[in-house]
Amino acid sequence: MKARSLFARRLSDYLIKILSALAALIAIFALGWILSVVVSRGVSAFNLDFFTKLPTPPGISGGGLANAILGTLLITALASLIGIPIGMLAGVYLAEFGLDRPFASMIRFAANVVMGMPSIIIGVFVYTLVVKPAGHFSGYAGAIALAIIMLPLIARTSEDMLRLVPNSLRESALALGAPRWKVTLGVVFWSAKTGLITGALLALARISGETAPLLFTALNSSYWMRSPKEPTANLTVTIFNYAMSPYPDWKAKAWGASLLIMIAVLALSIFSRWIFREKKIRKG
Amino acid sequence: MSDNLTRPLSMEREQKRLLQEVQSLEVKISVKNLCFFYDDHQALFDNTLDIFQNRVTAIIGPSGCGKSTHIRAYNRIYEMYRGYRATGEVWLDQENILSPSQDLIQLRKKVGMIFQKPTPFPISVFENVAYGLRLHFKMSRGELAAKVEDALKRAALWEEVKDKLDQSGLAFSGGQQQRLCIARAISVEPEVLLMDEPTSAIDPLATSKIEELIESLKQKYTIVIVTHNMQQAARISDFTAFFYEGHIVEFGATRQVFTNPAKKQTEDYITGRFG
Repeated sequence: MKARSLFARRLSDYLIKILSALAALIAIFALGWILSVVVSRGVSAFNLDFFTKLPTPPGISGGGLANAILGTLLITALASLIGIPIGMLAGVYLAEFGLDRPFASMIRFAANVVMGMPSIIIGVFVYTLVVKPAGHFSGYAGAIALAIIMLPLIARTSEDMLRLVPNSLRESALALGAPRWKVTLGVVFWSAKTGLITGALLALARISGETAPLLFTALNSSYWMRSPKEPTANLTVTIFNYAMSPYPDWKAKAWGASLLIMIAVLALSIFSRWIFREKKIRKG
Repeated sequence: MSDNLTRPLSMEREQKRLLQEVQSLEVKISVKNLCFFYDDHQALFDNTLDIFQNRVTAIIGPSGCGKSTHIRAYNRIYEMYRGYRATGEVWLDQENILSPSQDLIQLRKKVGMIFQKPTPFPISVFENVAYGLRLHFKMSRGELAAKVEDALKRAALWEEVKDKLDQSGLAFSGGQQQRLCIARAISVEPEVLLMDEPTSAIDPLATSKIEELIESLKQKYTIVIVTHNMQQAARISDFTAFFYEGHIVEFGATRQVFTNPAKKQTEDYITGRFG
């Protein structure tokens, strides 16, 4: 038996290190590039008008995206209102009652499938289900589409977080004579609260960048929204429209809108990480 | 070792005294042919024993012999898990608590439980104790505060936490957490206290505090304690049941079980020959 060459082993070790570092660098480079371009071009679009005025027709400079900012906030809030409670309750079912029952496994599988589904399909689905029968695009339809995207995300993260709560805690609450629903919504939810909030925030971050489902549902508008029953202006579809337009002023606004969404997503991510970290420190 | 020739005469008298004492005691829980199944695996076989009122009954035996499984039938906490079931009868006062018509909330108000690991809820000390009280009683804030204070006092914890009632229950030491759990359990005035190795996760000093506490709680409650620690069983209990592989091998007055066991298996376990 011959000993393997030490040199060859060191060389392969070295090469793998270099290659993986290079791959990491490429990934970071793409991200850094996007970030720097969006920031540098977006910042110049920011001014008071951008946040307070309605968009102007092509060719007329000035104006802003106030209606789209408001619309996005409203659609996202509506979507959260639908998606977070239903998603969390689904998570409760999976973690507390369904466990390994066949029905629960089926739901878990379905949730995974929906999570992997291209969001445009969900947009078309809501188009057929809500927009077509109603005869017009609406903010409600947009909120429903985004809620459907949120549902499986929140259900699965909530399930994971609830499962982290040790059974000994459930047992001691039950042993005091608490009914099961009170144990779940009280002690268990309270113990898992940071995880549950984090899950909801990450789902929120995920939907705030969605364009395709809104294209088929909320569409867009250049006016203030009077009611979510109408087509509703929103940032992502505005980016889609403006970025492809030939007008430099619109293009600049698209950059501004991109930066705004990026900041919002970044803030949500940092905030959710921060809450989660808080808990760990207190535990330690 | 314990044949009749060498046994001192006083032992006979002692046994008679014990017998008389037992006859004068009231039975709080009467277990008849309790069997327990984890899915297809049978863990308890025809357990039959009486738990006497206002006495401490210790359940001893090697790991995995069914000690915890046995007392977890007394409040049916096992029902949280699918596929776990018990057969036989467990009579608490005049009711068979294993009957499907038994209301679990009423049962668990009557039968409190302390677990191996302290399990304070991640809320304040005050809220921990108030949790059970709020479940079962409607009372004013003042009454609630008085009841919480009373429970903490009886759990010998009041002096240590009276200025820290707003702090999280998790902020205290293991022994304090366990006494908080005891306060929480006794706040709702149960009749029976089940303790599943309550001191195995805490240090000796805290253990002795809890043992003293058990001694004082005995006046008011019927206590069943599962323990790995035989000295502890000998110190604090009036009756002892020795479990082995899901069977009750021996049950009797603690002094008798420890000094003059009827069964060879009990003697072997107590003297440390196995387990």
